[in-house]
Formats: sequence, C-alpha cells, structure tokens
Amino acid sequence: MTDRITLVIDGKTVSAVAGEMLLWVALDNDIYIPHLCGSRDDQEKPASCRLCFVEVDGRPLPVTACTLPVSEGLVVRTGGERVDALVATGFELLMSNHRLDCKNCPANGDCALQQIAKTRKLKLKPKKLPVLERDLTVDDSVPGILFDPNKCVLCGHCIKACLRDGNGILGFTRRGFERVISTFGDLPLAESECSGCGSCAAVCPVGAWSAHLHAEAF
Amino acid sequence: MELTAEEIRIAANTTGDVLAGFSDSRGNLIPALQQVQNKLGYVPRVAMQKAAAHFRIPAVEVYGVITFYNQFRLTPPGKNQVKICMGTACHMRGANIIQEAWERRLQIKVGETTADREFSLERVACVGCCTMAPVVVINEEVNGKITPTRVDGLLFAHELDKKNAAEAKGGAE
Amino acid sequence: MAENNQPAAVYAALKEQAEQNRNRLFEKPLILIGAATCGRAAGALKLTQAVKDELSRLQLEANVVEVGCMGHCYAEPVMVIYNEGFPPLAYGNVNDEVGVRIIRDYLVDGDPGFEFALVALEPNDFFPTFSDFPRGVHENKIVLSQCGFIDPQNIDHYLALGGYSALVKALGAEPDAIIAAVKDAGLRGRGGAGFPTGVKWEICRRAQGSPKYLICNADEGDPGAFMDRTILESTPHALLEGMIIAGLAVGAEKGYIYIRAEYPLAVERISLAIRQAEEKGLLGANILGAGFNFAIEVFQGSGAFVCGEETALIASIEGRAGIPANKPPFPADAGLWGKPTIINNVKTFAYVPHIINNGADWFRSIGTGTNPGTAIFALAGKIESTGLVEVPMSTTLNELIFEAGGGIAGGKQFKAVQIGGPSGGCLPESALATPIDFDSLVGAGAMMGSGGMVVLDEDDCMVEIARYFLDFTRKESCGKCTFCRLGTKQMLDILERITKGRGEPEDIDLLMELAAKVKEGSLCNLGKTAPNPVLSTIKHFRGEYEAHIKEKRCPSLMCKDLIAYYILPDKCERSCDACVGSCPAEAIFSNEDRIKVIDQEKCVKCDSCKVACPPQYAAITKLSPPSEVAAREQREGAK
Repeated sequence: MTDRITLVIDGKTVSAVAGEMLLWVALDNDIYIPHLCGSRDDQEKPASCRLCFVEVDGRPLPVTACTLPVSEGLVVRTGGERVDALVATGFELLMSNHRLDCKNCPANGDCALQQIAKTRKLKLKPKKLPVLERDLTVDDSVPGILFDPNKCVLCGHCIKACLRDGNGILGFTRRGFERVISTFGDLPLAESECSGCGSCAAVCPVGAWSAHLHAEAF
Repeated sequence: MELTAEEIRIAANTTGDVLAGFSDSRGNLIPALQQVQNKLGYVPRVAMQKAAAHFRIPAVEVYGVITFYNQFRLTPPGKNQVKICMGTACHMRGANIIQEAWERRLQIKVGETTADREFSLERVACVGCCTMAPVVVINEEVNGKITPTRVDGLLFAHELDKKNAAEAKGGAE
Repeated sequence: MAENNQPAAVYAALKEQAEQNRNRLFEKPLILIGAATCGRAAGALKLTQAVKDELSRLQLEANVVEVGCMGHCYAEPVMVIYNEGFPPLAYGNVNDEVGVRIIRDYLVDGDPGFEFALVALEPNDFFPTFSDFPRGVHENKIVLSQCGFIDPQNIDHYLALGGYSALVKALGAEPDAIIAAVKDAGLRGRGGAGFPTGVKWEICRRAQGSPKYLICNADEGDPGAFMDRTILESTPHALLEGMIIAGLAVGAEKGYIYIRAEYPLAVERISLAIRQAEEKGLLGANILGAGFNFAIEVFQGSGAFVCGEETALIASIEGRAGIPANKPPFPADAGLWGKPTIINNVKTFAYVPHIINNGADWFRSIGTGTNPGTAIFALAGKIESTGLVEVPMSTTLNELIFEAGGGIAGGKQFKAVQIGGPSGGCLPESALATPIDFDSLVGAGAMMGSGGMVVLDEDDCMVEIARYFLDFTRKESCGKCTFCRLGTKQMLDILERITKGRGEPEDIDLLMELAAKVKEGSLCNLGKTAPNPVLSTIKHFRGEYEAHIKEKRCPSLMCKDLIAYYILPDKCERSCDACVGSCPAEAIFSNEDRIKVIDQEKCVKCDSCKVACPPQYAAITKLSPPSEVAAREQREGAK
C-alpha cells in the first residue's frame, strides 16, 4: 500500500505515505524533532529516549512521533508548552547522566545532544538536577575504537550496527539505572571477538563510541 | 570470586546435561538457565556460553538476560542462603534493622557470601508473608516475626544443628 | 455445535467418585491444618507433625489434611477439627503444644477446647460463627470461599464441591455466549487496571492470527500483596477451570501461568493441580470428550517486578529480558510470538467459573453498577486482623480497616493506608469514607492495584514510605526509557537526602515537577505510576516533608539519621541490665548513679535496647532531632 496522505506539521502541509511514522515524515520535510533511539528500519520500535514528543489534535496527551503512524488530516505541533516542558525535563534527565566534556569529545560539533540543545534552546549542563556520575571504565582495548560508557544514552544504535556489520558482541545488560551497553561478561572489546569494524563509532549519535587513533598508529 | 578448574568442569557438564533436555527454541532459554541455577546454585560464564551456542544467539544476549533478572546469580551462593524480605509490611516493621543485624553477625554485606561459603545474604522481593513481618527466608524455610535477638538465636540453632550433624556422622563411621 | 452429552456424563462420573473419596474423610475425625506459605511461616508444618505424632501415640484414628489459607493470617497457624458432637471448629494461634492438647482433650475426653477456638464453621448453639463477627458480616466470599477448607493437593475436593461444573456448562455453549456472560457480568480485570475482561476476550477472539495464547499473570510483585499466592496455594483448580473456560471462549489451546520466582509452594501446588486435572481428562487433549484441547504450562519468573507489565511478561516467556514494548500493538492483537494473546490476573480467571455457574445477574447483584462483584484485599501492616478479605465492591475503607480488619494494632493511632503498592498511594484519615472500587480509589489518589493494603500508624514516617517505594521502583525499573530510568533515580536521591536531614526547601517542588514528568513521559505503566506514592504523600502529609527539611526532624521517629535513642533517667530501674546485654555495639554504660546511658557515638540505632527494656519500665525512648538528647540530658541531669 502506498496511499499518499496529507497532514499538517507546525502549520506546514506535507504529503507522506500512510502509516509511515511521523518522526521520519517530519525529518524528510526538514522539520526537526529531537530523537536519539529510533531508526527507520526498526522492526520493533524502541521508543525509549522519550524526546520526540509532539502534540496531536484530538489527543489529550503528548505522543512520541516515532510510534505515531501518519494518517489523512493529522494535525501536529512539534512544540507547545506541554511538549516543550516534557522534552526539557527528559533532556535534563539524560544530561544529568552524560559525562559532559564537549571540548575534548570527538563528537563535538556533530553531536545529537548539542543539536537538541541548540534547536530547543536548552542548556547542556543540567540546571536543577545533580549530575549522576557513574565512573564506568573507558574501553580503548581495540585500536581504532574508544568506548566511554559514561557518555552513553542507551539508544542502542551500536548494538544493531554490531549485529549487522560486526560479530554481534554488544548488548544491553543489567537493568534500571545500572543498565549499560556491554560485552559478554563485561570483558574489554579486545577479549570479546570484536572485529574492529568501527560501525559502532559510525552510528553513535553522542560520542560515546568514537574512532580513536592510538598514538602507535602514527 | 575465582572459580576452580573443578568448578568450571562441573558447571560445563551440568549445563550440557540440562541443555540436552531442551530444544533450541528461544522460549526455552530462561527455563534452561533456571534449571542450571537450580543444580549449580549459580550460572557461571561457561554455562552462559554453552546456552548461547545451544540457542544460537550471541553470548551477550544470555548475559543480558542473566543480569536483568534478580534471581540469577553469577557467583556461587553460600551453603545457607539468608534472604531478607523487603516487602512493605516487613520494611515498616524494621526489615532494615534485621538486615543490619545479619550483616553485623555474618560480617558481610547484602549480596555477599561469607569467606567460608557457609552463608550468603540477600534481599528478596516480598515473599507474601506480610502478616508475619518481618520475615527472613533461610534456604526454603520462611521465618516470621524476626527480631535482632532472634537472628542470634537462628545462627546459634544453625551452629548446633551443624555440630549435631557432625557428631552423628562421626558416630556412624 | 452438535449436541454432545458426553462431557456431562463423564463429569457426573468423576464427581460421584470424588464425592465418595471426600466423604470417606469424614468417617473419622478430620483435622485440617492451614499450610499455605503464611501458615508455614508460623509453624504449620511443625504443628502437623506434632499432631500426627500425638495421634499415633494415642493410637487414635483421624485424618489430617494440609489445606490452604482461610485468610485469617493473624491467627496462624490455624487448625480445623470436624468431629462428632460439636460443629466443626477452627482454632487460631495453634502452636504445637496447643495443637497436641486440643487433640487430646477433644478426641479423647470430648472437650472441644472452646478457649482456643476462633470460630465455628456451621451455625450451632455452642459457639459463634463467622457471621457473628464484623469481618464475617462484611465479607462475601466468592473466590476465597473454599480457601482453607479444601485440600489443594487433591482434585477430588474441588470436584466433590461442584468444581469444574462451569467447564461442563461452557463446553456446551457457544464461545460468544461465554464472552457475553462475562461481558454482561461486568467483570473487570483484577490485575489493577480494571479493563473489562469480556471486551478483552472479544478483541482476542476476533483477532486474526493463529494459534492464540492465554496467559495467567501470577507475577504478584506488589510488596504487601499476597492474594494471588493464596489462591494458587489454596484453590488452584479454580484458576485452572477459569483458564480453560477462557481458552474455550477466545479460541486458544495453550495457556501459560506466569508465576513469580518467590512463590515456590504455589508453583508446586499449581503444577500438581495441572497433573491431576490432566489425569481426570479435564485438561489436555479432548477435554471431557468434547473435542476441545487445552494445555497449561507453568512458567516461572526470575525476579522482575516489571514483568507484571503485559509486554514485559511476554518478552520473558519468549526468553528475553523483561523489557516492555510500545503499545500498540496490544497483546490481544499481537502478543506472545506475535499471536493474539489474552493476559488476565489470577483473580480474574478465578471469578469466571462462578459467573458461568451463577449468571451475570448474580454477579451484578454484588458490588455496584460500574464495579460489580467483590474485591479481594491483603490486609497487612499495623492492623489487628491481618490476612485476606473478600468484600463487595463499594465497601468503604473505614469498614474494611476498622470493622473487618479490627482496627489498628496495639491501640495506636491510624495514620494512612497504602493501597496499590508501588503504583498506588497513601490515603489519610479524611479519605476513609472512600468506597473501594476501581474508580473511587483512583479519584482519591490511590489505585486498586492488585489488592495489597498496608495500614500505617503514627510510628510510620510518610517520607520514608515514599522513599521505600521509590527505592523499589528504581531497582525494578527495566532502565529502557529515560524518564523511568533517570527520573526515579533522581527522585529517590532527593527523598534520601530528605530522610537523612539534608533536604532543601525547594526539594518538594522539584519532586512534584519530576513526578509529573515521569508520569507523562514514561513508556510503560511502571514508570507512569511510580511517582504516585510520592505525590500522594506530599499531598496529604506535606507537613512531614517540611519537618524533615526545615527542622531536620522526623515526626514519626523513624528516619534513622534524624533520631537518637535516649534512656529516661527517672524511669531506668538501675539494677536491670537488659539493655546493656542487648546492645550489639556496647554503647550502653552505667553512670555513677547506676542509671544506664547511651553513648551516642557508638549507638547503631538497632532498636534492640528498646525491645529489651522491660515494659514495666519503658525507659528507652527515641528523640528527634538527635540534638534533643543533649538538651534532655542537661535538663534531666543524666551524664
């Protein structure tokens, strides 16, 4: 089915394929909605970062754009008092658990968190909430890859990339506040059949994974 | 806690036996891991690796399952498992005080095992004996209306049982 | 469907056999001992052994049967004796000595031991029955009616009393008629949300996709709730019968019972019940010859509260971490292995046979129009008569706590009642007139939840209880979504600093703001309801938060960092050393007047001395804030 429908996002009338998720429709039409966890080809939508909330006419509560199939006549606003406040809190919560070191971060200038802060006029540094420092071990055991779990926002893109391009050695482990992305038995990458393909670094939106050049390489 | 070569060998064999009773359907993963834990008391690395191979999934996925659920242990438990109920009724009747009493007496913290592997101490979600609060489960036995002094009593009774058992064994030989 | 008389005939033969077997029990004196987990914790197994030993010592013929829980947990262990000459009597608080004595006095000397009796089970001229007590007046037992009176390990008991007759009726009816009966009865899911059961079944029946699955959610994770455990341990066949009927109605041939890992006895008893039902042809292939197949499998949880959430429970059965998924799709459309799946709570299924047998009108005659039937609550905490009660919906909290539950234990003052566990809230005295039903409780700021009710008295700190629940949800959060993973952690940190005396004036507002956002932003119901205990305690007990923050004082003398133990010099008996001996930290010494004094530096605040101090002296008290100790010492002259 490729029924085309029209919907209105922030007053702009756009055309899209019925059933496509609003988040991608908006992005395709140059309307930015903050997001970290979703991918277009997701079989099962994570809907976990909770940043893509929008207001929809006829719906009393904010809705995540990544799980909202578009339909004819849909009227959506990506901002608004309620959604803005919700996204601001969600963002502040994430930032209270993200080691902030933009100056030395390889993702500086190309970071989803910086983009969200800039477009939504939010502070990177949490203003009300204390920083929850976890002090997890940084893994630089494989040449060309650096993983700083203290920066990780648990979007899961690296897990999917590793399954696709690498040896599928990454996964979500533990739960709650302790939930992390790790290898089997928390072993360093070098002991985990890491192929060194670097896909993880390529897809990481926040600089938790980065292509890292060891001094010896020069 | 480092496992001995003997422990690893036993774990690998036991896991192999357990997995032989299950098809590779993913729905069997958790029941199989539960059986391994029932037999070994914990699920060591080698067991997770064998399970991953059996179910043809990445080992890290098994690790993710094991670390997600409260009941799975990665290290051997004590011979006696002391579980302090942390249900509401127990909490309001001083489960924390009971926990501290055990920690003081066993000189370990919750989640740890004594050096002689005689006792391990855990907190457990509500065991549903709220009317007997505060409750401590020792191995499978539920003990109600615990006070700090009863902790001493329970440990003393345990020592006594052990002594009697040793004597009975000595007498029989 | 072709006329098929076979199920009725097969059933009649099974029932007759069962009646004969059960009646044989009554040929000798019959002794029932409540041996559910609660009874066992109180020593029921020791009692059973002592009774059996005494019977063989006295060479007396009697039948001893371990049964489930009657619901009167405050009186555990409970023993019932059926013997000629007197009505059947239930005895409470029967330790092995008392048990042995009752056996001797009653079975040898003919003295039923009324002094130990709790209640008579049949109307008589000697002793009051349940209906003579306020609890009996309020109770209307449907699901719990057989709990504690039938042998859960013997299917014949259930059959003899008419069990599985609803299944026979259902086998002769069209699936739509079964669904209609459940819909007409207005049965709402007892797992907490109160969604109409019949509607859910209808969606699943109509859903495309095959096979269809049925799941019984017995992952009773709310701390303070034990209704499902009791049903599983006391009347397992009622659940099985309800599930088979539901399978018939929605067109499923496979059911799972997802039981939490902390309930080993429940697993044992339900597994045995499944085997017995299979042996009798009530479960498995071609049930009662009617051509309907239905199998039930027990799936043990591994310890994750979030698995009470439907999609997480499904993930768990599928062999994955119990992490909730976005809805829709709803399980009734695409659930287990992507197939249409019905998930209902233990209690919901257990009502079904009664509705099929007695009809929708009967069910609607109990409770209210929008909330028909009964509510089953686990009463725990600072209440006199702890245990399980089943009362019509619309019974008020006041009636439940102060009449059926016998009021507050130890003559203390009621402060609040916590309903609905970590998703629920704390209601104060002013809310006691609230009728118990799904909608009224939500209106009052709590929720029905699955039925855990913990009563709190003047000694319970409301900030601490909020902290306790947040600590629980923080640990049980799956960690998938931002608001729940980090919001509960941040809220917990704030509550911890308040209970430790490090709270800031703006903390209350910050808590409320975070609470609102976590409710709105979380993916699943665990996160959406996690802030409720905080919001309800702030709403009703803001003064206690303020005392902790502004005065660094815990009004209920509960928060350890804000209290100190103090020995009242004029009450200390001097020559008594009970407190000194009880102290694990050697923090108590005698001063020159031989009055005991606590070294505050050494005190670990374990409460042992307060328990040890003989009640006639009651010389040990708690003070808050701890600086009070110095003030009192100066005033009262102790050094």
